[in-house]
Amino acid sequence: MELSNSTKNSVEPASVHVGKNAYLAVDHQWDSELFATAGAQVDIWNHNRSEPINSFQWGSDSVISVRFNPGEPNLLATSANDRSIMLYDLRMVSPVRKMIMMTKTNSIAWNAMEPINFTAANEDGNCYSYDARKLDEAKCVHRDHVSAVMDIDYSPTGREFVTGSYDRTVRLFYYNSGHSREIYHTKRMQRVFCVKFSGDGSYVISGSDDTNLRLWKAKASEQLGVVLPRERKKHEYHAAIKKRYMHLPEVKRIERHRHLPKPIYKAAALMRAMSDARKRKEERRKAHSAPGSVTTQPLRRQRIIKEVE
Amino acid sequence: MPETKRKHRDETNHRRGHSKPNKNARKKKKTGPRLPSSLQKELDRLNPTTSIEIDQDIDSADGDAAERELLPQDFYEYEEQHAEEESKKNKRYDPGSVDQLQYDLPIERSDESEDEIIQSDDDNVDDDDDGMERTGDAADGDSSEEGDGRHTRMLQGITGMPSEAFEGKKKRKMKDDVIPELYPESEYNPSRDVVDGDGQISIDDLLNPLQDNPGFGKLRKRIQQIENNSKAIHAPLRTADQAKVERKAAYEISKKEVTKWQQIIQRNREAPTLLFDENIDLGFSTVGAIASEFEPRTEFERKMAALVSDDKVMEAYKKDAYDAWQVSVEEEKDRQSRIAKMRSLLFRHEMKAKRIKKIKSKTYHRLLKKDRLKTEYSNIQMDPEAAKEFVMKQERLRAEERMTLRHKNQNLWAKRILTRGLNSQDEGTRAAIADQLQRHAELTRKMHSMKDSSSSSDDSSDGDDEDAGSDQEMGSKVVGKAIEKTMKVIQDDHETPKSGLLSLPFMRRGLEKSKKAAVEEANLALQEYKDSKKKLENSVGSEGPEATSISGRRVFGASKTQISDAGDKVKSDYNYGSSDSEDDLRASKNGNIETQGSNVLQKDVNTDAVLIQEDTDNHQESVFKDFNEIVKNPGPKTTYEVSLFVSDTWKKARNRDEKGTNVKKSAMPSGPVRQDIKDTEKEVEEDSDTDSEGQMVDGILTSGSKLSYELPSQEELIRQAFAGDDVEDEFEKDKMEILNVENPEPEKPVLLPGWGQWTHVQKKKGLPSWMLKEHENARKKREEAIKKRKDAQLKNVIISEKLDKKAEKLHTKALPFPFTSKEAFEQSMRVPIGPESNPATAIGPLNRPEVVKRPGVIIKPIQFEEVNPHEKAEQRRGDKHRSKKNKGSGGRSMKKTTA
Repeated sequence: MELSNSTKNSVEPASVHVGKNAYLAVDHQWDSELFATAGAQVDIWNHNRSEPINSFQWGSDSVISVRFNPGEPNLLATSANDRSIMLYDLRMVSPVRKMIMMTKTNSIAWNAMEPINFTAANEDGNCYSYDARKLDEAKCVHRDHVSAVMDIDYSPTGREFVTGSYDRTVRLFYYNSGHSREIYHTKRMQRVFCVKFSGDGSYVISGSDDTNLRLWKAKASEQLGVVLPRERKKHEYHAAIKKRYMHLPEVKRIERHRHLPKPIYKAAALMRAMSDARKRKEERRKAHSAPGSVTTQPLRRQRIIKEVE
Repeated sequence: MPETKRKHRDETNHRRGHSKPNKNARKKKKTGPRLPSSLQKELDRLNPTTSIEIDQDIDSADGDAAERELLPQDFYEYEEQHAEEESKKNKRYDPGSVDQLQYDLPIERSDESEDEIIQSDDDNVDDDDDGMERTGDAADGDSSEEGDGRHTRMLQGITGMPSEAFEGKKKRKMKDDVIPELYPESEYNPSRDVVDGDGQISIDDLLNPLQDNPGFGKLRKRIQQIENNSKAIHAPLRTADQAKVERKAAYEISKKEVTKWQQIIQRNREAPTLLFDENIDLGFSTVGAIASEFEPRTEFERKMAALVSDDKVMEAYKKDAYDAWQVSVEEEKDRQSRIAKMRSLLFRHEMKAKRIKKIKSKTYHRLLKKDRLKTEYSNIQMDPEAAKEFVMKQERLRAEERMTLRHKNQNLWAKRILTRGLNSQDEGTRAAIADQLQRHAELTRKMHSMKDSSSSSDDSSDGDDEDAGSDQEMGSKVVGKAIEKTMKVIQDDHETPKSGLLSLPFMRRGLEKSKKAAVEEANLALQEYKDSKKKLENSVGSEGPEATSISGRRVFGASKTQISDAGDKVKSDYNYGSSDSEDDLRASKNGNIETQGSNVLQKDVNTDAVLIQEDTDNHQESVFKDFNEIVKNPGPKTTYEVSLFVSDTWKKARNRDEKGTNVKKSAMPSGPVRQDIKDTEKEVEEDSDTDSEGQMVDGILTSGSKLSYELPSQEELIRQAFAGDDVEDEFEKDKMEILNVENPEPEKPVLLPGWGQWTHVQKKKGLPSWMLKEHENARKKREEAIKKRKDAQLKNVIISEKLDKKAEKLHTKALPFPFTSKEAFEQSMRVPIGPESNPATAIGPLNRPEVVKRPGVIIKPIQFEEVNPHEKAEQRRGDKHRSKKNKGSGGRSMKKTTA
């Protein structure tokens, strides 16, 4: 059978690695030959071998995401269907720690500039930033999405990350802020299932259920193309001015104002009302019971069930 | 070592042992498919190796750690595991499997833990030597073994309990007196003593039969060593637990590994800026760099390259170039200094021009203009060229004026004012109109004067008072001529062209219009001439030297409308009592030259009458004359108007006394005017229409009479200066107003029938008490609020307490995040960051964003570098600052986090 032109031109894979189970996630080490696949188990592969060089299994549920630590290439984080987040160390050739949360973690991203920190995109609409050394408490809870966060990726600068959500929006967060700094949405974009930062940290790519990939600017108001030094200085000055007067209510309002799709706006309002009510109730309960008998966990700890050794 | 030891022991066992094969046989009897013992024996005899193979099987199968931990404790435990063995046993008849086993053996052995394998190993080794012997042994040992088996069977039969029960008993016992050994001796058949509970087999028992062998001494020594060092081996952990422990350890290690980043992370987080755009080679950036890479390929290019790279040619070229550009040092220096001087001059000039351009002061510009005019004037005086130029310019101006009639009430503004009526305008507007007209008259009239009298002395425009007698005569002549000419022009103008473009209806209309304007103008000029002529005559006739001082206020250039407007008003008042002249004045308003002329004549007549009359109080006459002068020459200033008004009132009073007498002075001696100003002042005050007017008159008069006036004391002066306005009162009023705005007075309760109470009750009792109470409360509250004000005690100050809601937006209610003290925050806000208030070198660091990166350049993940943890943070920060400075000045020293 003769191959048509188009098939001749089609890209051939450099190598094919065959495994026993379906794969749910894959990630490659930065600047090296190893890559990891996740599915029924976590396999570590080398480019030059047809068999995985390591396989890890801890628990019986399938692993849904895997991510290498870019700064510390031997560290590996996965999340599994059993609501767990697991850490692996390839130097020790073993899983290292497991932490179970109340809801499933859909994806994990390591901070490229801070190899001890990673952020987990959770099914409950929040993202949780953890210190890999202290898994009993999140460093920061990033809220704003009104539905499950499906994917997350850190900017190579380590100062912000992008999340894609089931609520049909893409959001950008600072690595240490509780709320997003930017939201991207279009009428036609459906559920977002994957997001990525570009290598230079100035673009964001999102893939959604409407079968489209979308390329966004990481800074929406940034000027594309060549920027002359004088122009750049002017931009910098304006940015500095804005930053300086950010605390003024009017400036803050203008800077933070974003147009939201109606469903998201309403859902956010609803969620806020619910959480307020919960808080109120808790406060009252506390006020009406013996001191110390009712304790509340901070949100950073609330969603963590346990840490497994 | 232990391996060899064990080997030895095994050897001894084999030498000695008749038991092993028997044991195997018995085992099979127990748990395998129940073959009769005799049959089993037969099988063993037929195929002695199989037993060994089975042993090996067992060994390999028992590699499980879980079993391993049980094995050393109990000999009999092993027997329970025979299920597997039996499965193998079934396979035994499969020749393939046997082959495979035999083949696999060495490989498997390498993987298995050693203690069990050695056994099989030995078996293998000894197979050949002992094979025959063993079969014999097995036959010999049968009796005892069988007896053993029989015993258990017997027990089973009696009690009806399974054999395990008995074994369990034994097991328990064995557990008690187990001697921990390196080597689990599970294979060995327990002796009858053990089964009976008599004792146990010691190593010595086993060794004894070996005494004759050659290697015995060595063996014994080893065994002694082992005995001395014997220790108990603990059971290995369960796999799960083991993995857990492993993970825990691994976590600790990786935690420690990862912690090395702490310092770097902290440093980066504290850094004001992260730079990601360093050490980037974007390839050739300059044309020169690209050109240097050029390689000739074609024939032509090669030829060119050969020429270019030819040394001789290059040398010649360079030399030429050098010669052409060679300049002496002095010349160059000279040139440079010249250029520098030039530049500095230009720069200064530019700066000065900029500064002057920015000045907004009207006074300054007025002075500047005056200065400019002065220099121009002096230039004209000094330089004939300049004079010529000036004349040309003036000529041009006049021509323009004639053409455009710009100042002839032509523009929209003036037209509008006129349609609305000049009388209804305020004084400023009237003055402006008058001014404009005056300017127009100046510009147009000068033409004649310049033409007629070639002398450049501007007799009219500035109202300069240098009218000598002869000049006046000359002037009257000139004026007469002018009148004649104008009349002629007016008559001439009536001819209109009958054909051509100008005969077209719209052109004709336009012409007529312009003609009308010209006639009007001519009329005006005529009247003016007549006026001036009359004045000239007057001055020639009577005034003499005194006239010069008075004529200081006289303006020649007063145009007709000016006179008819301003003058009309005055005259109507002027002729208050005499109604006969009223008509004439009206007529003059119409612009009729004749009536105007008659009016003037009438005035003259009136003057004569006054002359004849010889009044007693001369001084008053003179003052009046003075006023009249003013009336006659209304300037652009408002003060004139005011003074006119005053004079009118004054005249009214006078006219009452001298009915029907119109006054015109000019012939009166005006010497005593100044001396008697005080008197007039008094009189004016007596008349006193309004304060301000009186004062105005006062001001004018005093300013005119400085010579004879005694200087009042300072206090008096101030009092006089502020006599009219009570500043303190005003201020208090202002303050009260502000108070009322900021703390409004409560509304008085209004009686609305039926509101608050029943109507009839209201009628009887008046306002309901609660209303009064409320009002009272509100009043009290207000008073308190006023008392609490910051400016309550400060008499001369108003401090507004009004809050500006718009300004409120620009204030913070709380300190923004990183700041902890108000001072620090305010300090930080006070430092400007803009390019206007900072040098160019400082702006970069001040405005640098948190992350500096370049689009299109891939940022690599962080790489480890040693950070000295003992280094103080401040030092580091200082370093950073320094390096940043370097960067700002062009150096690229800073390397933060990127590779």
